Amino acid sequence: MSAVEAAGIALAGVALAFALLWLRARRADARARARLSTATVELERLEHAFARFAPMELVERVIARGVPTSGERKEVTVLFADLVGFTPLSQSVEPSTLVRILNGYFERMSRAITAHQGHISTLIGDGILALFGALEANPWQTNDAVQAALGMRAELAAYNEELAASGLPKLALGVGVHRGWGIAGLVGSSELMQFTVVGNVVSVAARVQGLTREHGVDVLVTAAAQQALDPRFVLRALPPAELKGIAEPVSTFALL
Amino acid sequence: MPTVLAEVEWEACPLEPHRDAELESYVRRTYGALPSSVAYFTPVPWLVRSMPALSVVGAPPLHFDTVLADLIGLVVSQDNSCRYCFGMQRLLLRVRGIPEAHIRELEQNYLEAEIDPRTKAALDFARRLSRAAPRVGALDLAEVRDAGWSPDAIRELAFQSAYCVYMNRLMTISAIPFARAERLATSRLVRWFAPLWRWRLQRRLQTSRESALLSDGGADDAPWSSLVKALSGTNCARPLRETLDAAFASPVLSRRAKALIFAVVARGLDCRLSEREALGVLSETGLDAGEIESILTHLASPRLDEFESALLPFARGTIRGSPAQLQQRTPALAAKYGEARTVEAIGIAALANAVCRLGAVTELG
Repeated sequence: MSAVEAAGIALAGVALAFALLWLRARRADARARARLSTATVELERLEHAFARFAPMELVERVIARGVPTSGERKEVTVLFADLVGFTPLSQSVEPSTLVRILNGYFERMSRAITAHQGHISTLIGDGILALFGALEANPWQTNDAVQAALGMRAELAAYNEELAASGLPKLALGVGVHRGWGIAGLVGSSELMQFTVVGNVVSVAARVQGLTREHGVDVLVTAAAQQALDPRFVLRALPPAELKGIAEPVSTFALL
Repeated sequence: MPTVLAEVEWEACPLEPHRDAELESYVRRTYGALPSSVAYFTPVPWLVRSMPALSVVGAPPLHFDTVLADLIGLVVSQDNSCRYCFGMQRLLLRVRGIPEAHIRELEQNYLEAEIDPRTKAALDFARRLSRAAPRVGALDLAEVRDAGWSPDAIRELAFQSAYCVYMNRLMTISAIPFARAERLATSRLVRWFAPLWRWRLQRRLQTSRESALLSDGGADDAPWSSLVKALSGTNCARPLRETLDAAFASPVLSRRAKALIFAVVARGLDCRLSEREALGVLSETGLDAGEIESILTHLASPRLDEFESALLPFARGTIRGSPAQLQQRTPALAAKYGEARTVEAIGIAALANAVCRLGAVTELG
């Protein structure tokens, strides 16, 4: 082999090595790009998912500049729902059955609430705090909340038939609806944070929900909510009641 | 398409496509192309004509280039999850020579994308105007002005965003099939055809810029004249005036039905200007102020006929929501009241959503 041939072979070898290295680098680059693309799509998916729980502007502000400490005063309608007789139920069925019953219940209630422009702010045990007009201004928020309550009633009736068919106990619901002003914003600690409304409007809705047991009805609407409500809803006036922590007696109406 | 939009639910289109040689030829002549969506709107001619008339071809911007107009189209369509418009905007950007990597960066990571601050301010403003949650106000206008945009340029940016809202609503509420648009948006063939297409688009735009006449907004007593006048000094005023006039003159829906749709959307978006204008039209149709207020408060009234009663929740359902939510009431409307009335109701609702968001420009002074 001549020196020229040897040099040619060596050169070819070097070229081949470079080509292999280039191919490996290209493959690694493609893998990295694919991972980056997947990650950004995941991020975008998360961003969209978060927009169901907080206003999109707020989600973007959190991503870009961190959690804002300010809140916004808003007129909202609050729907507070609770299962009646949940404690005896929780003692009478297996834990796994209880979780299954609860998950089925939340699934159906959530469907009724979101179908009427509401969003679930918090689940507290078996209780649901749903807000209307908190994510975006909604001039029809109170009608929506009461429509959602009617939807929840219908969903629960259908769910109870399923439970009965499986030999499981039926569920009963208490719902309180109130309209008023509250502070909307991101509330919580660095460990757990949620977009919600705080203020008297939430306390009144929760206390009014408690009144459903005393009056033997499933849905109660406060006078403040009733004033904004479509007159086609059929309501029955109930006597004003003293509520714990609320200065004035609260007038309520049963939704028929 | 590698974005979350690929997972967005999109119902089957309840409308049938109908070919109309005259309208198709008009769109091809003015637009330079015939989008597949046109055939679904032919029962309502003003609607088909409005598509090119309100676009950059009919209302060429004077203060920014068409690439920014298309970027606005891309980010607003993505925000509104309009798969059809997103595909079309993506295609247009590729035709205009924007690198695929840059388009993908905007799609996937808008907040971190490398965009110059002035353009970013324009895109942010366009997104805020489209979202209207809350409605664009003095602070948003000040922010975009601080980024170096003049009041006339802001008017054009707002109009561009509102036009995208209009197109997004038209395509989404009708559930126009998007597969072809998405296929074209990512097709490798586009690279080969792009230069010729770009040349044709530029020529058409040049012609429209030369022929566009600045308008002062038309008669003072015409509906929405204050909004149209707020756009005077731009090329947007005249096509908006003509579209509003043609929409209200169309015989498919009654004037009252159209004004009801506008009033509901205005109430939902808290646009006082549009609500006032819609109330003005409604008061000419035999409804007094108390009745109108009751209708808008509860979205129902015994004074309305069955079709008008169906239009109120329909109009309300077009204001916000995912495509599946926006499309929810369209099939029932089409099945019960026929295609022409449904198409016009969609067109009016889309126009109302655009006009009510655009109301903010009157605050520019």
